[in-house]
Amino acid sequence: MSSSTRRTVLAAIGTVTVLTAATACSSGGSGSSAPSAGPAKGTITWYANQFGPTGTDVRKTLITAFEKANPGITVKLEQAPSDSDAFRSALTTQISGGSSGFDVYNGDVVWPAQFGKAGLALPLDKYLPASYWKGFSSGLVDSVTYNGQKMAAPLFTDNAFLFYRKDLLTKAHLPVPTTWEQLQSEAQTLQKDGAVKYGFAGQFDSYEGLTCDFTEFEADAGGQSVNTAGTKSTIDSPAATKALSYMRGLITSKVAPNAVTSFQEQQSESLFTSGQVAFLRNWTYAYADSNSASSSKVAGKVGIATLPTFAGQQGPGYSATGGWNLYVNPHTKNLGASVAFVKWMTSTVAQKIIATQGGEIPSNAAALADPGVQAANPAYPIAAKNKLRARPSNVAAYSQVSQGIYSNVNAALTGSASPQSALSAANKAIDQALGQGGL
Amino acid sequence: MPNTATRSGPDAPPPAPPPAEAAARRPAASQLQRRGARLGWLFASPALLVIAAVLLFPIVFSVVMSFSNVDVTGSGIHLSGTTTGNYGILFDSPRWRHALYFTVLYTIGTVVVEIVLGTAIALVLERLKTGRGWMMALLLMPWAMITVISAQLWAYIYNGVYGVLNSVLHPLIGHDVNVLGTPVEAAVAMAAADIWKTTPFVAIIVLAGLVMLPGDIVEAARIDGASAWTTFWQVRLPLLRPTLAIAVMFRILQAFGLFDLPFVLTNGGPGTSTESLAVLGYRVLFTDLKFGPGAAVATSTAVLVLLGCLLFLKVFRAQVGTEEN
Repeated sequence: MSSSTRRTVLAAIGTVTVLTAATACSSGGSGSSAPSAGPAKGTITWYANQFGPTGTDVRKTLITAFEKANPGITVKLEQAPSDSDAFRSALTTQISGGSSGFDVYNGDVVWPAQFGKAGLALPLDKYLPASYWKGFSSGLVDSVTYNGQKMAAPLFTDNAFLFYRKDLLTKAHLPVPTTWEQLQSEAQTLQKDGAVKYGFAGQFDSYEGLTCDFTEFEADAGGQSVNTAGTKSTIDSPAATKALSYMRGLITSKVAPNAVTSFQEQQSESLFTSGQVAFLRNWTYAYADSNSASSSKVAGKVGIATLPTFAGQQGPGYSATGGWNLYVNPHTKNLGASVAFVKWMTSTVAQKIIATQGGEIPSNAAALADPGVQAANPAYPIAAKNKLRARPSNVAAYSQVSQGIYSNVNAALTGSASPQSALSAANKAIDQALGQGGL
Repeated sequence: MPNTATRSGPDAPPPAPPPAEAAARRPAASQLQRRGARLGWLFASPALLVIAAVLLFPIVFSVVMSFSNVDVTGSGIHLSGTTTGNYGILFDSPRWRHALYFTVLYTIGTVVVEIVLGTAIALVLERLKTGRGWMMALLLMPWAMITVISAQLWAYIYNGVYGVLNSVLHPLIGHDVNVLGTPVEAAVAMAAADIWKTTPFVAIIVLAGLVMLPGDIVEAARIDGASAWTTFWQVRLPLLRPTLAIAVMFRILQAFGLFDLPFVLTNGGPGTSTESLAVLGYRVLFTDLKFGPGAAVATSTAVLVLLGCLLFLKVFRAQVGTEEN
């Protein structure tokens, strides 16, 4: 049996379970329309992938603190796949299959529209008061809202930064680059001097991460992939062409290794921590990782700054917004405890733990503004200066839109298509996705 | 497994007819037989029910899903209406057409190489007087390895910065080699990993066929003065055909469902150039949550591979037929 058949079979098995579960639930489900979430006690399961630095597991720290603060509730941690797509498939099959095996789950910031449309997450408006949602940093609540309903609670946000080798720049008397053009020429100088093998590394593989990287370059050049209303592709623009040509130029000028077109976060970071590249575009956690003596050869030599922009544009450069939310499984059998858990995890106490021990930017505005938190990680004060640009994830077909972006951009980066033809193909793919058509 | 079903189709001998002597005692025997058959069905029914539940029903359901408007909801997957729209989306999609083209080309390429290499290895193994068991065990190691793991090992070999291939080739050609970065090279690299893994499997099947060949025919050919080469081409290969057919069918069915290698090695890239039908189906189903078109990808893939196998069998049998005449 071919793999694809096998997968369909699995999906279908899931569906069968669902159909039986759906009929079984329909009689008892009416009780859940009551606004009260029920008593906050018992055991719940948190289905979460690891976040924060690789050395310590901040999830366990959080659970211990939560259980101490809420004596009636026990939280079981279930390990989720670290790959975002694999995690989504696991969630889709289990939730649409009626599983109540987990109550609260972590989910990507780009999922609320898709999960909202498919009913894979429980809208939280009814169980959390309006005042609760005012505690988050600006823009975050909008990012979890689909059709006027809040599909998740923001757990932490993530920004992109420029990581650079302080030692190399000092030695060569070079400033921290504020434009992409400057970055390229400084990188070439360092490479020519034999100070470092490569100049720049980012995430240019054919996957979601490339959509983030491209969104930033494109925003720096003054463009965006989809119009603000989320109805039309605007990727086939001079700005996008400029961005993509620059990215390709990093490879042809040998500033970025050829293999960057197959790099995800981990590959780009390990090239940087092995001391082989001068500049790295990566997320917040890379600061802690690259300055940790146990995992990095360049510990203590790494600086962090806002990303550059293109010459002639107002700096700093744009950072894509990343991060993770807490979602509640619509099939949870313990809504009371689940809501209590979500509420506590986004409280100032928990958010400070996430910031100081997890190395992630807290979603709670008060926690982020706390001087102790600001001092805990040099990334946080810089994050406050970041100009943010969300991926066009407010549309339910976002995964398809993103696929249209990253696969075509990747093709242009490898040189198998010209930037112009890649963007025109991406344009077609995005419009088709927004019109609910195509594959 | 569809392959065994296809194998035992028109090819297989009909159920053993009652012996001629038994015809006289038909009434009593047939009653006994019928009772036995009933009992047999009764005993087999739990197993058959399980098979129907885990195999037949899901397949039928996925076919039904591919012809329906599908809505994914938190309380299950809802089907409404009958439509061919999902297939329309497929046939209109350049992405699907490319995935089909890639999968067919990849299947033909890898299966041909694997059959030729596998047969050659089997011929060598057959001649080995000592250590054949050890050789077979060694050969089977790539086959026994889980593909996602071996694919990860190949990813280390192919890595454009610190990969083994790069460190071997870099000094020779003076620049980094990133085989996974260009469409054709990525496909060839993937095929190499596939051939490394599955050739031993073909070799074992062919070896089993070789061992079963009647020794006297080969002996007779040799006595008649045929060279080893002629014996192989004129005597052994024709006799091996049924075995080769099995090997080819197994391989076509597996290669057509190519998933793990592109999933780990290239993510379907660069662009979508190494996106196989299975990867496409997975993405449409589980990333985009478009269950209708996704089911259409899966169903059409299964139908296409079965058609491919039938076609192969037909051509194959026609050829065998002419040889026998």
